[in-house]
Amino acid sequence: MLSAFGRAFRTPDLRRKLLFTLGIVTIFRLGAFIPAPGVSYNNVQQCLQLTKNNTSLQQMVNMFSGGALLQVSIFALGIMPYITASIIVQLLRVVIPRFQELYDEGASGQTKLTQYTRYLTIALGLLNATTLVSLARSGQLMQGCTVPLIPDSGIVTTILLIITLTAGTGLIMWMGELVTEKGIGNGMSLLIFTSIAAGFVPAMNGIIGAKGWGTFLAVLAVGLVTVALVVFVEQSQRRIPVQYAKRMVGRRTVGGTTTYIPIKVNMAGVIPVIFASSILYLPALIAQFNTPTDGSNIPDWVAWVNNNLTRGDHPLYMAVYFLLIIFFTYFYVSITFNPEEVSDNMKKYGGFIPGIRAGKPTADYLQYVLSRITLPGALYLGIVALIPLVALVLVQANQNFPFGGTSILIMVGVGLETVKQIDAQLQQRHYEGLLR
Amino acid sequence: MGVLQIILQILLGVTSFLLTLLILLHKGRGGGLSDMFGGGMTSGLNSSGVAERNLNRFTVILGVTWAVVIIGLGLIMKFSGAGS
Repeated sequence: MLSAFGRAFRTPDLRRKLLFTLGIVTIFRLGAFIPAPGVSYNNVQQCLQLTKNNTSLQQMVNMFSGGALLQVSIFALGIMPYITASIIVQLLRVVIPRFQELYDEGASGQTKLTQYTRYLTIALGLLNATTLVSLARSGQLMQGCTVPLIPDSGIVTTILLIITLTAGTGLIMWMGELVTEKGIGNGMSLLIFTSIAAGFVPAMNGIIGAKGWGTFLAVLAVGLVTVALVVFVEQSQRRIPVQYAKRMVGRRTVGGTTTYIPIKVNMAGVIPVIFASSILYLPALIAQFNTPTDGSNIPDWVAWVNNNLTRGDHPLYMAVYFLLIIFFTYFYVSITFNPEEVSDNMKKYGGFIPGIRAGKPTADYLQYVLSRITLPGALYLGIVALIPLVALVLVQANQNFPFGGTSILIMVGVGLETVKQIDAQLQQRHYEGLLR
Repeated sequence: MGVLQIILQILLGVTSFLLTLLILLHKGRGGGLSDMFGGGMTSGLNSSGVAERNLNRFTVILGVTWAVVIIGLGLIMKFSGAGS
């Protein structure tokens, strides 16, 4: 394994790519520590110390930005606007026929869609920046902290802050694209990976500090088992055999081969988990806005929401979370994998699944296999996502419990993907890859 | 509130704005979410033309200026004691 890394660095092409990626990641992390102009670094640190143990609304978003959000640094918004924009554009494909047309068009149409995503990212970045700045100014960003985060509350400072944060979002997006283009792996997901991994060590430290070494080792063991399990499920797929008929194209024979359609158990990836958690944050958000600030009586339904839907360790919350994940898994798989399209394509190139007629029966068969295999996939996603919530009850760790849920799925997924790409690059040069 | 601070603030506003515009001018790479987590195939053949390379250079210069201005503003704020 280590010698493979050595070889990877001795290959000039690959070395350049790896170093480029590392450089971008370094800049990204550095930026997460530079406070945005007008934000008082000392006050922010003071507040962070005060509110460290809160499990507030912003914690998950904070995880995605690697702790940059609560520090109000120049990269505070992180990759989140881009994720949201991509999700929106992808979902709009269902609603707006024009988007679906563009998607079907192939590479040129998809470039256009990417361009829309980029515009939307900047717009969302502007929106998020405004929200963040107003939250920080009113002191709601970190509740229970009275020191002003932004000492100078003039209009100029505020506008400058918003513009800077938006530009930071754009810069992150561009850095991600640069990595995709010139580095290794998918830039955006690598940046998310970095942010999450950065929160890892402090979380572990927190567990050691709060619970001692015994619990820490137990958590580590559970974590390793989880990682192994996640890797196993991520790699597993069902292979549907496809035969291609021999055809003559000009004077050559084409086809006559046997391949397979790989259908992954977890086709949807982490996206259902992200969807479900962002939807579950809505009631809490609404409740927060409807809580009277003047100390008068809290409405009944707000109290109910606060009791049942905002705390991760409540059974109702868990159940809703689980069900939402299963729903979104099916939903997302049905968006991304279209059996009719696949069967049409197969028919076009003279392919068929042995024992099943081409055309509609093939589409039906694919749909049948897909919906059957998605069930364990959905259950698996739900269970993995529930691990941190269960841990919350058992060890009383906070919600950023390092091994579980979104973070572990993203880390394993991105890690596997990146290693596979390095591997492919190595094998192009007739070397043994990283993976044996 | 020194003269330097005002100059830096103006510079920051201008560079941020231009940076955002320049970044939007770039051609988007990497397509969307399914690419990010789903693990699709990314086509690796991208040729970047002269225009794109120049654009890259401008963006890097602007980005560095932007960062320097922010750090400068931060230092001013720290030493003028406005932070505490």
